[in-house]
Amino acid sequence: MQNEGQSRRILDRVVKLASAAKGAGATAVLRGSDGGNTRFAVNEITSSSDVERLTLSVNVQFGTRSATATTNQLDDRSITDVVARATRMARLAPENPEAMPPLGKQKYAAVKGARDGATIELTPAERAKAVAAVIGAGDGAKVQIAGFYEHASEMQGLASSEGLWAFHAWSSCGLSCTARTPDGTGSGWSSASSNRVGDLDATALAKTAVDKAVSSAKPRRLEPGRYTVVLEPAAVADLTGELASQFGARQADEGRSFFAKPGGGTRIGEKLFPDTITLRSEPTDTALTATPFDGQGLPLAPTRWIDKGKVTALTYDRYWARKQGKAPTGSPEGWILDGGKATREDLIKGVKRGVLITRFWYIRSLDPQSILLTGLTRDGTFLIENGAIVGPVMNFRFNESPVQMLTRSDALTPAVIAGGMRVPALRTHEFNLASISEAV
Amino acid sequence: MGGSAGVLAVLASPRIAAARGLLTDPTLDDVIKRALGAATKAGATYADVRIVRRRNEGLGTREDKITSVYSSESYGIGVRVIAGGAWGFAAAPAVTAAEAERLAKRAVATAKANASQMKRPVVLAPVPANVDVWQTARIKDPFKIPLEDKAELLLAINREASRVKGVKYVNARYAADAEWKLFASTDGAYIEQEIVRVGPGYTVTAVDDKRGEFETRDHDLAPMQAGWEYIEQSSLVADARMIAEQAVEKLKAPSVVAGKRDLILDPSNLWLTIHESIGHPTELDRAMGYEANFAGTSFATPDKLGKLRIGTPILTFYADKTTPGGLATCGYDDDGVATQRWNLVEKGMFVGYQTTREQAGWIGEKASRGTCYADSYASFPFQRMPNVSLAPGPKERSIDDLIAATDDGIVIVGDGSWSIDHQRFNFQFGGQAFWEVKGGKKTRMLRDVAYQANTLEFWSACDQIGGPGSWKMGGAMNDGKGEPTQSNAVSHGCPPARFKKINILSTNRRGA
Repeated sequence: MQNEGQSRRILDRVVKLASAAKGAGATAVLRGSDGGNTRFAVNEITSSSDVERLTLSVNVQFGTRSATATTNQLDDRSITDVVARATRMARLAPENPEAMPPLGKQKYAAVKGARDGATIELTPAERAKAVAAVIGAGDGAKVQIAGFYEHASEMQGLASSEGLWAFHAWSSCGLSCTARTPDGTGSGWSSASSNRVGDLDATALAKTAVDKAVSSAKPRRLEPGRYTVVLEPAAVADLTGELASQFGARQADEGRSFFAKPGGGTRIGEKLFPDTITLRSEPTDTALTATPFDGQGLPLAPTRWIDKGKVTALTYDRYWARKQGKAPTGSPEGWILDGGKATREDLIKGVKRGVLITRFWYIRSLDPQSILLTGLTRDGTFLIENGAIVGPVMNFRFNESPVQMLTRSDALTPAVIAGGMRVPALRTHEFNLASISEAV
Repeated sequence: MGGSAGVLAVLASPRIAAARGLLTDPTLDDVIKRALGAATKAGATYADVRIVRRRNEGLGTREDKITSVYSSESYGIGVRVIAGGAWGFAAAPAVTAAEAERLAKRAVATAKANASQMKRPVVLAPVPANVDVWQTARIKDPFKIPLEDKAELLLAINREASRVKGVKYVNARYAADAEWKLFASTDGAYIEQEIVRVGPGYTVTAVDDKRGEFETRDHDLAPMQAGWEYIEQSSLVADARMIAEQAVEKLKAPSVVAGKRDLILDPSNLWLTIHESIGHPTELDRAMGYEANFAGTSFATPDKLGKLRIGTPILTFYADKTTPGGLATCGYDDDGVATQRWNLVEKGMFVGYQTTREQAGWIGEKASRGTCYADSYASFPFQRMPNVSLAPGPKERSIDDLIAATDDGIVIVGDGSWSIDHQRFNFQFGGQAFWEVKGGKKTRMLRDVAYQANTLEFWSACDQIGGPGSWKMGGAMNDGKGEPTQSNAVSHGCPPARFKKINILSTNRRGA
């Protein structure tokens, strides 16, 4: 995989070639990854891959005409060809009045410790050893176990004819596993991700999944309805991620998002959530494998999107920012829903009758305006009565909005990494568990 | 297990020389030979090589503007081996003989590292040593059509739709995908294929500024394995005004009242329900627990084969990787197995699975069904869905006939929001356009409609289906499965169908 010096030489050459034509501006992006993975199921390894990937994208602009061509080959002929393709298409492309010129030089936040040597150098034999620990836990408990272990060394570099230079390299890794009881009535799951393989504790993850599988076996049927729920961090991340994708200012200004104000304008400044809710992004959070710039090279700044319950910011691309007289924000990385001080036990203790949910599955939009979503609970759903877990219940289909989840929340644990974000477990009320799913 | 000698013999045979239509670079023969040879020498009992070039092209528009024009290409080599009874796989973008040898050795080393965690060594079902060339039947290569023609088509759609009062935004898009691959194995396969797919579409958005509400309507022209002629002959532009008018009408339409109603589903909606509730549950790896950590498992476990009633006797679902135009159609799968057609559900009974060479023996079958696929040179080939379709009824019957036979119901056209649980029981689907049926007539439009059911109850409530003339294909270019997730293009043909007393939900923002 290319280091910073090699990336710069390749991108400078591509940009020079692509901006040689009269009136041409160019932006080039190089992305690379070198990684491996081991997949396992039914208590044995089912596949294992070691893969090198590369993408070189070139965007050529003639005024407001532009086009992008991509290749994964770096030989002379391929580079000449990809530049020629982008140039030819850009000349043919119709004028786009919303086109922005290539980005010039930018200043980025310094990021330390993004690359972890042990993660980059992990071998198939070391992966097999970690997986053996998980499979061993499954064998020991006489449950079926499946999962996925992956790691990669990754890089992204950008250069433009206007002097842009951006480079970031990082490592990433993740381990997840699902245990199922032999009678098919219990299922448990756990997952961890980081940029450091040392943060992944295979034995602890296996124990959580196995314990959940065993304790969720033979669930009883609970009537669908609106319940107080304790959402574990993975479940909170599943829904918060859907909310995080809705912060586009343009969609709001155009009247087609939750953040659009009826009658025109946006809901910036409105206090829509309790004081305890702060949603922010931290582009230098290495464990979230966040990057200090977005895919276009725009610098990312730590930003509060919801601050103590109040909507404080929306995302602006370069065109919409110029049109609205705002600063472009770039596409945020490193989402964090700030937590509170409660423990998981505190959340459960405060529930008279409710449901504990491990995670969700197959989430789809029902109504974009209210961010009403549907999806299912999965891999550990339990009834809580009088402040204690009393036993497993069958899974539910929910129809609910992350907006309501946050609005009705009343207790949060400290935030942890789940679903590629930092989020707390939380307790919320009147959560619509709409129908029963027989799935285990 | 023929060792690399099988391929050497193939390369010398007049069959491959005669079949060479698409192959442009004869040096690839050497790359393949070196990869298979190195894998065998390192201890592989089986090896295959795929050299894959994928090209994608697309345009995006909004109103009178082109918002994106792109062309992407990826090329590389993947070597898959079995050593010590375990799989190993390595891939890289540099297609040279030296690189092929390095990857082969790396794949064998990975397989050996995994061997200690194998309780049952991988065994492949036998396959003939297929040597062939296969390509999409097409007239006009979409990659050779001028960009201006594509842009003009999309902008014409946007112009037509924008003329309708109340329409505020229109986004028309076009994408084409070409997949060329050369596959060779130590079992003697040497197969070259090129698959071309096109996927056009558009979304019309109507906005009511005063109420702060909006509705969208997508056009439902199915993506297809075809050339540019499919787009040219389509009614994309001709339909734009109607689609736009429906978006506006939908915004003004009353919200559906929740309750049990008869449901008439157009093929443009039903294909996705078939995909989710019949296609995925009959993947054998899923049924055996291989997808437990991600996509889930299945209600259709092997002990139910031949015994489980999935629906009424009018329902026969078949898998078919040979249907002309089907997105998953090809000559051979990524195990080198010739493609075929077979039944998954026959007269309502669960009778078959989708399998690969590795999986056939799991259920005592002697040969693979030919459903192995990898989405790029860098992806490990595994079981992927073939085109799965519902056979039409014997008598000609149209959607209008189904409506005429219905006293109180709802017709749904187009696919909308969809979600199904991880064993494929509980599902909830939306649509693009909804009409109330009263006394055998399609009456007013409705909005906020979703239907929620259990797979077995749903198909057991199917009492009427359309005839051969009403059968249409829908499909998706990007069905996800596996870890890391791979994308598969797949089509589903079906007639319209009627379902009795299905649970209808309202998804309006006052709570479903």
